Amino acid sequence: MTLPAPLRALRRPAGAPAGLWLILVILAAIAAPLLTPYAYDIQNLKSAWQPPSASHWLGTDEFGRDLLTRLIYGARTSLSVSSIAITISVLCGMTLGAAAAWFGGWFDRAVTTVVDLTWSFPEILIALILVAIIGPGTTGTMVAISVAYLAQFTRLTRAQIMTLKGETFIEAAASLGAGNGHILFRHLLPNALAPVLVSAMLATGDAIILEATLGFFGLGAQPPVPSWGGMMSAGSALVFKAPWIIIFPGLAVAITVVAINLYGDALIAELDIRARIRRAV
Amino acid sequence: MTMSIRKTLLSASVSLFALFAAQAVSAQEAVFVLNTSEVGAPTYNPIKANNLNKATTLIFDRMVSQAADLSYHPWLAESWEEAPDGMSWTFHLKPGVKFHNGEPFNAATIGPWLEAFKGSENAYMTEAIAKVEVVDDLTVKLVMARPEPNMLYNLSSSFMSVIEPKSYAALGDNYGVTEVYGTGPFKLESFTVGQETVLVRNDDYTWGSPLAKNAGPAHIAKITFREIAEDSTAFLELKTGGVDMLLGVPADLLSEVKKEPNLAVLTLPGQDVYYMPINVTKAPFDDIKVREAVAKAINQEEILASVFGGIGSVADTFLISALPESHVADSAKIHYDPARANALLDEAGWVMGADGVRAKDGVPLKVSLWTQSDSIFRRLTEVVQAQLKAVGVDAEITTFDSSMIRDQYKTGTQQLAVRSYDWDNADIVDWFFGADRLGYPNISMFNDPKAEELRKAAMTGSKNMAERVANFTAYHEYVLTQFPMAPIYQPVESVAYNADRLVMPEVLNASAMGSVAVMDMEVKE
Repeated sequence: MTLPAPLRALRRPAGAPAGLWLILVILAAIAAPLLTPYAYDIQNLKSAWQPPSASHWLGTDEFGRDLLTRLIYGARTSLSVSSIAITISVLCGMTLGAAAAWFGGWFDRAVTTVVDLTWSFPEILIALILVAIIGPGTTGTMVAISVAYLAQFTRLTRAQIMTLKGETFIEAAASLGAGNGHILFRHLLPNALAPVLVSAMLATGDAIILEATLGFFGLGAQPPVPSWGGMMSAGSALVFKAPWIIIFPGLAVAITVVAINLYGDALIAELDIRARIRRAV
Repeated sequence: MTMSIRKTLLSASVSLFALFAAQAVSAQEAVFVLNTSEVGAPTYNPIKANNLNKATTLIFDRMVSQAADLSYHPWLAESWEEAPDGMSWTFHLKPGVKFHNGEPFNAATIGPWLEAFKGSENAYMTEAIAKVEVVDDLTVKLVMARPEPNMLYNLSSSFMSVIEPKSYAALGDNYGVTEVYGTGPFKLESFTVGQETVLVRNDDYTWGSPLAKNAGPAHIAKITFREIAEDSTAFLELKTGGVDMLLGVPADLLSEVKKEPNLAVLTLPGQDVYYMPINVTKAPFDDIKVREAVAKAINQEEILASVFGGIGSVADTFLISALPESHVADSAKIHYDPARANALLDEAGWVMGADGVRAKDGVPLKVSLWTQSDSIFRRLTEVVQAQLKAVGVDAEITTFDSSMIRDQYKTGTQQLAVRSYDWDNADIVDWFFGADRLGYPNISMFNDPKAEELRKAAMTGSKNMAERVANFTAYHEYVLTQFPMAPIYQPVESVAYNADRLVMPEVLNASAMGSVAVMDMEVKE
């Protein structure tokens, strides 16, 4: 019996530690309140700036809050914001891309033009502009990230559909009288799904960085809700006095993003879709 | 191959030699970093600006200089007389003063200069002057529409830096951006907004303030003012020798500066006040009880100790404590009083809920708390948020970019905010609470008929300094009792410099870092 690809990727040399780390982070984020005796938002100014110790494994921040607790709750913010944003982005991007490829004509040209235009701006720039318009906070960050990555998924889906469109099985379905919706959702999208999902996963890694960047500028989750970027930003002003405040969230971002990329690579190798992704993006 | 390597080595050593030679010639050069609160000042036009940086004080001179004890001394005006009824002032100007573009400074300068204030951001400074009479080449008489006891303060303020009227008229909006001409000890060489300003010495300068020891041109030939938005980056630059002086060091970095053997700290009395404006028009703060409660929920001592490392002092009025107008009745001073805060909220009908947040008729006591993106404000705001939570107020923080927050205030939708101002005159009460400036600067949207009456008396109804102090104290005191804001903290001004490079004057007789200090400063060769 063959295991599904995500599990097979776990058996690869780079995929195994990466996947385990991701599972660990996700579980920690879900079970946050059970894992730590401290609250993430209760200040205790007398015990501020404590270096790592037995009672505070990663030390305390400038308000005397346990850094490990905030890191775990920060994982909640970072992972949920970036994965929800990317999910929205994938759904919208696939719909747009598929529709553009299938219907073609002026609609295709309009979508491609707009997408190529946004594609030519760096994601961070688009995100900053959107956050400035919507206002800081998690909602603003989510919308900003979804729009910033929309172009990528639209292009990828469109390219997949374009190659599939000419295949005989589509022609067969069409000549049997299948409608647009049936062909799109039963035949085209399922076949285009794998590369899009894998690139969505890799984009989640980028989205975590983007979320951290916005948090670093103070535009992400608003205090006292912790986010990795916000924690690093607070730590950057105190890097001489309490270096652990910036180091641990920084490590968390770095390891998680590397893990997502390694696991994503393993997944690509298992699914054997490297060429299809490269052609489109 | 060997040939080309040798050539490269040769040219490298030549350029290295040139580098050393260049350094020997221009040893009297220094690099200063501006205070983060001055980063991004868009112009050196003192009349139109509402934010001027320290380099301004070197490009321009002023009529009057102010000493460390806040007394007034001659500068471009050698002496002056005020009419007994306060209805005119006569100024005797210093002879031989020239602007950077060669134009002379004399009695003819004063009329067009003061005229330029009309309709500008800083018009209130010259409002009381009805007309300027030229008595002779070096004497002017200002005929007043009403007595202005604040005249000497205004003339010593950097916003009344003396500009060169002809180029001012010719350059329009470019004056202060592309070119600027004053009479100061340094001339503007280049200015890139938000990045750096390069000043070169005015070698003709012999008319400095008597508060400085040096009566001739400055010792330093060239000063570069860099703008660095993040304090810790600026500190690293100082530590590694990239810059020679930081004009503003936040309290939490001072201990790091003191750890470095080659760095020294100079402390001057501060002119900033950190405070929390309360928008009196937005429910629930339209209820004075709720305003008083949140004001008294702020634990200033705790903030001083934890956020500012115990450096500076707590603020219990809206003004810096060096000003006589800050001496209001004890009952008007705003101190931390959690029992009173809780009692007031109970009285106002806000009942404590099980989740630690108060509610009234099922509506939770949830308010917005605005702050700006500089790290010190974000940190301070988080402590304020926790202190408000302690009395059952759930404040939600919104962080705005520091350069954008003023426009946000203009919308008037704010409830609470954490911010600071930098000023050393009681007329700042008028600036931030005057009913004709709702939104910004009047972030509290404070519009109270009695306050307006007292304000009018304070701004325009005082005949002499004693009266002005009394009137402003009354106005300030009344404003405090209406709780349009909560005072938090007064810092000291700390300057950090590289003691291996700079020699500071032994005595600094000035109310702030500026021209007087730089005139006596030297760079070690």
